[in-house]
Amino acid sequence: MNITYFLTILVSGLKLGSIYAIVAIGYSIVYGILRLINFAHGDIMTIGVYLILVFMNTMGLPLFVCVLLSVALSVGVGLLIERLAYRPLRDATEETTLISSLAVSALLQNVLQIIFSAQRKPFLLPKSISTPMQVGMFKLSVINIATYVVTAVFLVLLYALLKKTKIGAAMRACSENMRAARLMGVNVNRVVMFAFFIGSAMAVVAGLLLAGEYKTVYPSLGFVPGLKAFCAAVVGGIGSLGGAVTGAFVIGVAEILFQGLMPTTMTAYRDAFVFLLMVAVLLLRPNGLFGKNEGGRS
Amino acid sequence: MKDMGLRKRAVALLDCSLVRFVLFVAVPFLFLVFCGLHPKSYVTGLVSTVGIYIVLASSLNLINGFSGMFSMGHAAFMAIGAYISAFLTLSESVKANECPALPDWLIHTQAPFAVALVAAGAAAALVAVLVSFTIIHTKGHYLSVVTLALIVVIRALIDNNDSITRGSRGLNGIQPLSTIPAVYLVVVVTLFVLYRTIRSAYGRGLISMRDDPVAAQTLGVNLTAKKISSFAISAFFAGLGGALWAHYLTAISGANFYFEKSFDIVEISIIGGMFSLSGAVLGAIFCTVLPEFFAPLENGLHIAGFRLPTFFGLSNIIMAALLVLLIIFHRQGIMGYSEIIVESWFSKETYTALFKKSEYGKVRSALAALFRGT
Amino acid sequence: MKKRKATVFLAAVLGVAVAAAGCGSNTGTTTAAPTSAAAQETTAPAASSEPIRIGGIFNVTGDQSSIDAPAQKGFDLAVDLINKAGGINGRLIEATSYDGQTDQAVCANNAKKLIEQDKVIAIGGLSDSDYAYAAGAVAQAAGIPIVFSGATTPDIPDTVGNYAFLTAFGDNTCAYATANFLFKTQGAKTVYVLIDDSMSYTTNLASYFIEHWKELGGEVVLEDHFKSGDYDFSAQIQRYLATGETDAMFISSGPDDASSIIQQFREGGATAPMISGDGWDSDLWGVAGDLANQDIYVGTHYATSDESDVVQNFIKAYNEKYGIDPENAFAALGYDCMMVLKKAIEDCGGDVTSANIRDKIEAIQGLQCVTGTISYSAESHVPAKSVVITKAEDNHLVFVENAASN
Repeated sequence: MNITYFLTILVSGLKLGSIYAIVAIGYSIVYGILRLINFAHGDIMTIGVYLILVFMNTMGLPLFVCVLLSVALSVGVGLLIERLAYRPLRDATEETTLISSLAVSALLQNVLQIIFSAQRKPFLLPKSISTPMQVGMFKLSVINIATYVVTAVFLVLLYALLKKTKIGAAMRACSENMRAARLMGVNVNRVVMFAFFIGSAMAVVAGLLLAGEYKTVYPSLGFVPGLKAFCAAVVGGIGSLGGAVTGAFVIGVAEILFQGLMPTTMTAYRDAFVFLLMVAVLLLRPNGLFGKNEGGRS
Repeated sequence: MKDMGLRKRAVALLDCSLVRFVLFVAVPFLFLVFCGLHPKSYVTGLVSTVGIYIVLASSLNLINGFSGMFSMGHAAFMAIGAYISAFLTLSESVKANECPALPDWLIHTQAPFAVALVAAGAAAALVAVLVSFTIIHTKGHYLSVVTLALIVVIRALIDNNDSITRGSRGLNGIQPLSTIPAVYLVVVVTLFVLYRTIRSAYGRGLISMRDDPVAAQTLGVNLTAKKISSFAISAFFAGLGGALWAHYLTAISGANFYFEKSFDIVEISIIGGMFSLSGAVLGAIFCTVLPEFFAPLENGLHIAGFRLPTFFGLSNIIMAALLVLLIIFHRQGIMGYSEIIVESWFSKETYTALFKKSEYGKVRSALAALFRGT
Repeated sequence: MKKRKATVFLAAVLGVAVAAAGCGSNTGTTTAAPTSAAAQETTAPAASSEPIRIGGIFNVTGDQSSIDAPAQKGFDLAVDLINKAGGINGRLIEATSYDGQTDQAVCANNAKKLIEQDKVIAIGGLSDSDYAYAAGAVAQAAGIPIVFSGATTPDIPDTVGNYAFLTAFGDNTCAYATANFLFKTQGAKTVYVLIDDSMSYTTNLASYFIEHWKELGGEVVLEDHFKSGDYDFSAQIQRYLATGETDAMFISSGPDDASSIIQQFREGGATAPMISGDGWDSDLWGVAGDLANQDIYVGTHYATSDESDVVQNFIKAYNEKYGIDPENAFAALGYDCMMVLKKAIEDCGGDVTSANIRDKIEAIQGLQCVTGTISYSAESHVPAKSVVITKAEDNHLVFVENAASN
């Protein structure tokens, strides 16, 4: 067991962690305000990737433009889902909205399958950004480095948004107490839509990074990573931005270290390990590592 | 009487025990007898599937609907039941060859189906008790996610213990013992036990825990005991359902007891109505029969000489959309809180009505009212 | 209020249920007679101009759909071509297919529906053992021959019974052939094995490969595992590189992970030749760029570069009907599955019954198919076929050799 080996897999773990982080933030923002586990979040990710692929293949636009177009459309889908499937359920129990999001997720996956077929499609980013270079002792591609940078930039921007802007203050107010916020004149629907806007946009970026890593796209691409990112958000303390990010890195690194350090026969327990880690955190710290203690809820 | 709407008059008909007997007991029973006589028929296959789903969804309703803990882990308990029952009924030589790491006594045991079923349920219930500390300490959808974790762990255990479970290759050649009489005997027993449970003092305690845990606790309801026991009872019947599933399909593997299966059962429970056992019955019928009507559409229907293009996946989309609509517009599911079907099955009046003259009179007047339109 | 609303819903639902039960029982009574061979013999000669009813079950939605959807297309294409050419012995084929939804219970019930409601006399389809067992048990009990298009688990016919046949070679054949190719043709002595633990196909293939590799006298230096959908292989790659590389790498995975495995291993610095079974026969990773052209071999059913008429005509016809090349080998297997049935029905002559079709399938010898030459015997319902070793070149799989499996 040498140190290079350890460091290399650690870097991979951080890479996976950053992807989870972008997804987990999306979960966390929506959850913080609506107390909704949006299972369809992962599917927005898939839709975003498919749209990028369509724009790249049919119009031959530069990647950056494709991503922007895809973000715009995916955000539209996200907002539509919120309007049709979640807003009518604003007063319903947590479990009811959870089921609604599961049904939406199933719906989206089947629609994607009908449009694009279940065949996995190759998703190849331009060589210039996907070919690994020697960076110090590691082999990293532009897209790998972008993953870290994007995560960091998103975090800073979001933090500034929440702390410095009016809508950010409204979002924080809603996540503290939605009814009180409404009484104070906050337009709750606008806040919720804004949360879905940010969440969906980040999901597309996460999808781009994930599919770039996996090289393929298929209708259920986002479901399992979405579920794991959700675990990450729970581990960190869902609803808290810093918590979601920390949780994502904890899960990402733990997952890869587990795979890399355990005997090969144990590696197939990787998913089970992630979920057990989440359960363990929930039992020891019911509100996650950084979650606010919300006594009444749970 | 004057402004009694059609709806009310139809409902009045359902108030007659005799009508209930015909609708909920006699017709289904005769239908089951018919199916039992044609074991290879396609309709019988659907009816068996419905029966197994009734067991699964009604047991899920006990926790999700009546005790207020929203579990999504039923597939895990199904898997445990399915594998235990398979281990107990497979022949000794098969087990010795395919599952060499099973304990010796299990390899040499070949139990009758009834014993295997009970053992399957018991094993699932035991696992439920063992993991119950996780559901005591979590609430709301955190609890749901913990039950999802259980599915992942069970699947990993099945896939990675080759010498016991044959890993992802799965077990096959399981005896096809889930006949109509066997399945529906389990259905009746399950519903009877669950019905008695929810109508007992224990059941009222569960419901009070669901509606207001703090008040229930002050009134002396032991929440922890209630949670563990209801989780275990539910798991017991999920194990039974899993065993029936294994003996219906004769081949099982871990992949068949994953998220999709759990979500299917949750969907049935929600569509039927998770606060009602009768809801589980109707949900199971609805979710199994309805897609059958879309199958011709998927397969490219012939209309006036034209063949529509095939449209596979349509039924999944329709079912998912239906679920969203139902949740938005009729959150309690088809049955809401009504227990009319299961109640009719297990109350004496339904059966004694046959011999009461007054009942026939009641039906006559209700029918007359319905058709006279007053 | 709540209660009343519920009761109305109930009434509506009961309506649906009773209606459904009504439809059901109708079909039930008309076909109540068991589908014994005797019952069909009486109807067959009288209806010699009637279409021949064949059923298909494919998991065109759900996890299995990436392999079953092309198989369904190949199957439909074969039916079209047969009917365009005037059918079999003057009778057209009427094929009905149902979606198995990647659910065992749906597959089993669809088999019953095909047999009873659509009165098919033979069934084709399915590519995974779980679903094959569930549907096969039904067909076997009803005495209806069932030819699995893509399933490769060699013990399926033994488990299901004498009415079950495979179109593809067994996993053992594929694994032995790839091992022989590596050991004898390539002269490899040490090998690295990467196994997807989540599929029966991949675990079977790997265990047959390892077994045969050791028989040959080769050494398995490292055996590593993953689960389909793990999109990060860095840990496996580092562990492999720590062995100082082996002569070859045997990757037991499905088509879905092929692209990421190839790309990540090659980018990570693993240079040894890679070989996999028919699971890698898809166009998916072919476009993975130059990396995919570096010493990648696939042991599969046929090579699209095969010049023979039967292969080229199939590819051309597939292109004409669907506007694309066959997605993977399963398209060809779905096509061949129907061709096996066609050959057997032809041989039946005027006596087209399920039992006779079964006998005639068993008697098939040297049938030229897209995926090779198919022969069955009473002892083996898994066709003895050769495995085609192909090499990735310019984003296509190019024929290398026909590898023996012993």
